[in-house]
Amino acid sequence: MGVGPSTKETTKHHFKDPLVRVFAQDPDIDFQGIIVVGTPQDNVLKNLVGKRVAKWLKAMRTDGAVISADGWGNSDVDFMNTMESIGSEGISVIGLKFIGTQATFVVTNEYTPYVLDINKSPSGKETTVLAENSLDERDANKALGFLKLKMRADQKSAELEENN
Amino acid sequence: MPNETLKIKEFIIDHVQIGDSYQLKDHQLVIPKKPQEVLPADFQSVEIKVLPPNQLDVPTNAIMDVIPISTKVLGNIGEGITHTLTGTCVLLTGADQQGRQIHDFGSSDGILKDQIMLDRDGTPGTNDYIIMFNVIVKSTSKMDRKSMTEIFAFADAYIQPIRKILKVTNGLEADYTHEYVNEVHPGKPKVAIVKQVSGQGAMYDNLLFAKEPSGMEDGISIIDLNNFPVLLTPNEYRDGAIRAMV
Repeated sequence: MGVGPSTKETTKHHFKDPLVRVFAQDPDIDFQGIIVVGTPQDNVLKNLVGKRVAKWLKAMRTDGAVISADGWGNSDVDFMNTMESIGSEGISVIGLKFIGTQATFVVTNEYTPYVLDINKSPSGKETTVLAENSLDERDANKALGFLKLKMRADQKSAELEENN
Repeated sequence: MPNETLKIKEFIIDHVQIGDSYQLKDHQLVIPKKPQEVLPADFQSVEIKVLPPNQLDVPTNAIMDVIPISTKVLGNIGEGITHTLTGTCVLLTGADQQGRQIHDFGSSDGILKDQIMLDRDGTPGTNDYIIMFNVIVKSTSKMDRKSMTEIFAFADAYIQPIRKILKVTNGLEADYTHEYVNEVHPGKPKVAIVKQVSGQGAMYDNLLFAKEPSGMEDGISIIDLNNFPVLLTPNEYRDGAIRAMV
């Protein structure tokens, strides 16, 4: 759950995880599984674990991935690193994280437009109310829809590149 | 992978009360007022309360976790049979004796009804009985990784006798049976989920592959794995392969 009670993912959240529920139910994708990755403090390790995720997905011949973060703050660096590593392997990637008005991106890159905000509080701030901003089924559905569009667009541009 | 079938049998609890010992029958759960184990040296006290539905107008310390009560009856995590209780769950809270909250960055302490959104995937339902397990540590406690793990493990040891009874409860008495398989859809785009979880130490930790669903015993810490990625099947995930300790 990390920093931020309103987004923290309890043990019950993992047991009933809305992302797994939504992705496993969709017959239009071949759902491969869930890669769980931590958030090391050390900078070398931060880059390494993100890279390992990307290589693993590549080896599974994954076409598209959704990455979600538990908590926010320091872990945002790990999140963007991993997203970039996945993207640079040619895998379509969509992110889901708490942004609101409080956790906006310090640095933007080509992947930031593909991160969906799970904030639900009117203030856009950490409310300290457990689960107020946590990822729900609607977020999961949005992410899956967005990923399908992204996979299609990425495939088209890859085909164009091949033809030119 | 397609042959791995997971059956989660759901037992609905419609009443929870404090009694002398653990009992589970006829949709009713009885739990003891005090933990049966000796308190660790760092602990000042442990307070256990049952909150009936709609009676959440009580003070709470920082909410450390919401824990479903499940047990493995047959097979390993991700396959076989699991029994789970619905209608109740454990709310783990904590502070030190001077009121210093255990999760000090944005703590959820206050009046419980104002500090929790019910009916989310990670929280109790409106009609659930909440078992509030509140740990007060001594002000000399370092609140480091070891002492945090001790709190989570102590709460888990309190839950284990419920799991033991649930394990030998006749599966035919289950209210619902949910059956899951890791389906494959050849020819469709291959999609994976990446879950970034906390593994920075102290109260930011997650355990994987404990013996019991959503349990702790034999669980492997993501910190001890150097935060390296681990692949879980959908069924493993659904069967409580992750225990949050954050």
